[in-house]
Amino acid sequence: MRFSSVVSAVFGLCFHTSLSSAQQSNLTTPELTQRILTGDFKPAPVFENTNLVRTINLEKGYVRETTNVLVTNTDKNPQSEYYIPFDYDLVGKIGGFDARDKKHAERGPLEVTIGTLAGVSDAKEPSSSKSTQYYIIHLTEPLPPKGAVTLSISYHILEALRPLPASIKQEEKQYLTYYFSAYVPTVYPTIKQKTKVKFPSSDVPEYTTTSGLTSAADPEKQGSSFSYGPYDTAKVPPGTVYPVTVRYEFNKPLLVCSVLERDVEVSHWGGNLATEERYWLRHDGARLANQFSRVAWSTQNFYINAGQMTTSALRELKVPLKPGSVDAYFTDEIGNVSTSRFRPNNVREASLELRPRYPLFGGWNYTFRIGWNNDLSSSLRKLQTPADTYILAVPLVEGPKNPEGIQYEKLVFRVILPEGATNVKYQTHGGTGVPTLQAEHGLHKTFMDTLGRTVLTLTATNVVDEARDVTVLVTYEYTFFAALRKPLTIFAGVAGVFVLAYLVGSIDTSIGKKQK
Amino acid sequence: MSLYEVWQAAASSPFQPAVGKDSQLTVGLSLLLVGLILTGLFGLNRSPVSIPLFGIPASLAFAIGAVYAICGFGVYV
Repeated sequence: MRFSSVVSAVFGLCFHTSLSSAQQSNLTTPELTQRILTGDFKPAPVFENTNLVRTINLEKGYVRETTNVLVTNTDKNPQSEYYIPFDYDLVGKIGGFDARDKKHAERGPLEVTIGTLAGVSDAKEPSSSKSTQYYIIHLTEPLPPKGAVTLSISYHILEALRPLPASIKQEEKQYLTYYFSAYVPTVYPTIKQKTKVKFPSSDVPEYTTTSGLTSAADPEKQGSSFSYGPYDTAKVPPGTVYPVTVRYEFNKPLLVCSVLERDVEVSHWGGNLATEERYWLRHDGARLANQFSRVAWSTQNFYINAGQMTTSALRELKVPLKPGSVDAYFTDEIGNVSTSRFRPNNVREASLELRPRYPLFGGWNYTFRIGWNNDLSSSLRKLQTPADTYILAVPLVEGPKNPEGIQYEKLVFRVILPEGATNVKYQTHGGTGVPTLQAEHGLHKTFMDTLGRTVLTLTATNVVDEARDVTVLVTYEYTFFAALRKPLTIFAGVAGVFVLAYLVGSIDTSIGKKQK
Repeated sequence: MSLYEVWQAAASSPFQPAVGKDSQLTVGLSLLLVGLILTGLFGLNRSPVSIPLFGIPASLAFAIGAVYAICGFGVYV
């Protein structure tokens, strides 16, 4: 089975995927839409941040910022749009933006749009105006004058961490730096604010100590967390920057996937859900100052296995799979990677333990693919009404689950439905900070296909491993006749051969006189 | 109605394939064998009657057998 899965994977790639827009799109509207802002746009100062607490989480290989803010309407009219500014250089690294009304958390995330200045979105002069961009939060109900609402805003920033020193020896620890402003970037006056920074460990050799912002020592240290503030910033104009730099130990790999291609393929005939993931992985951490030493690495390995040492190199990836997963494979450009272990489990999570062919140090790349099969019954259900309609539930991202996390610069998620499936609709459910998904319909031709299988391609950028909590639900119509397309095609072909054989056999090729 | 509610509502009707994964290869190869035997019988007596009598059943057996055999070998079509 394993061999055949590999063969199917290899052949599957050989077939070119044709994405045609022939089928009419009837997709769910993406949650994030873009609004073009004209001229020298500045949001009106209609709100006041009465109290703001920001948490910067640096425990993983990417930054997660969470801001809880009490917003008061200081205008005379009701207001419903709250603007959050991002620098031009930063906005492209933001992902998983999520805003909620804390008092009505059950209502789910608030509607968010991206405000782009016309000069910036104009492709002719992209660099002429490096203006601030905005995320616009739309409150469910307009906030009346003097009314207040508590917002919980969270997002992650990819590739914002830099190793310092940029190159280290093989056995040295890796340190990362992060730059931010002690004053939270905002377009509204802020009365009181505080920033908490969570580090992966208490080893923080360098950090900015502020002066004149508060009477007490700033920052205040509590184990592996630092607190900048609280500051009384009522008289500080919005947008003021007070640069802060922190340098901390992060002796774990800084994993970035430039592209993750993830396919799930539904087979009604086989009752199977096949998953394949193709990774273009790299380590963005500190590079090796000297050449890689195999001897030193084997010594290091001994101490790492004994738990007496850590390394910034990637040694192993653990991929938790759904219970009942079978036929797992792990291949790269050379072929099957035998240094992997698959622990199947029908009750609890199965585990796929991947050891790349070589340890991955800073600046090194590794390209590989993994795949496995599941019973379709756990992911597909048939609807009572309308007839012949099915609903599929699959996670947006599975893949490795490491304590240091993984960033995906680009995610291409293809849901390959059976041939003849129509009326495809999708929605996401669960998770925080669902990435903006661009959807495309197309066809994918592979074994025993005549027209090609219906494909729903969802593309997202700036995704992190937390997106594994997001479920993609897809409904499609698949009639009995569409299901019979494959055997009927073969039937027609073979029956034609029989008829032809009979006709050819009945031709009289004798050269003698016909006997009566 | 969100699709998640639709998913929850359909909890009682998970998809069940006509032939389970464990028996696909047996069913597929058996049908291919039946097809082969019927083809042999067709070859012994090529008459207009043998097309519906052997040819059509053999074609059906080949068609369904091929689909299940390829699934049984691990290429889920």
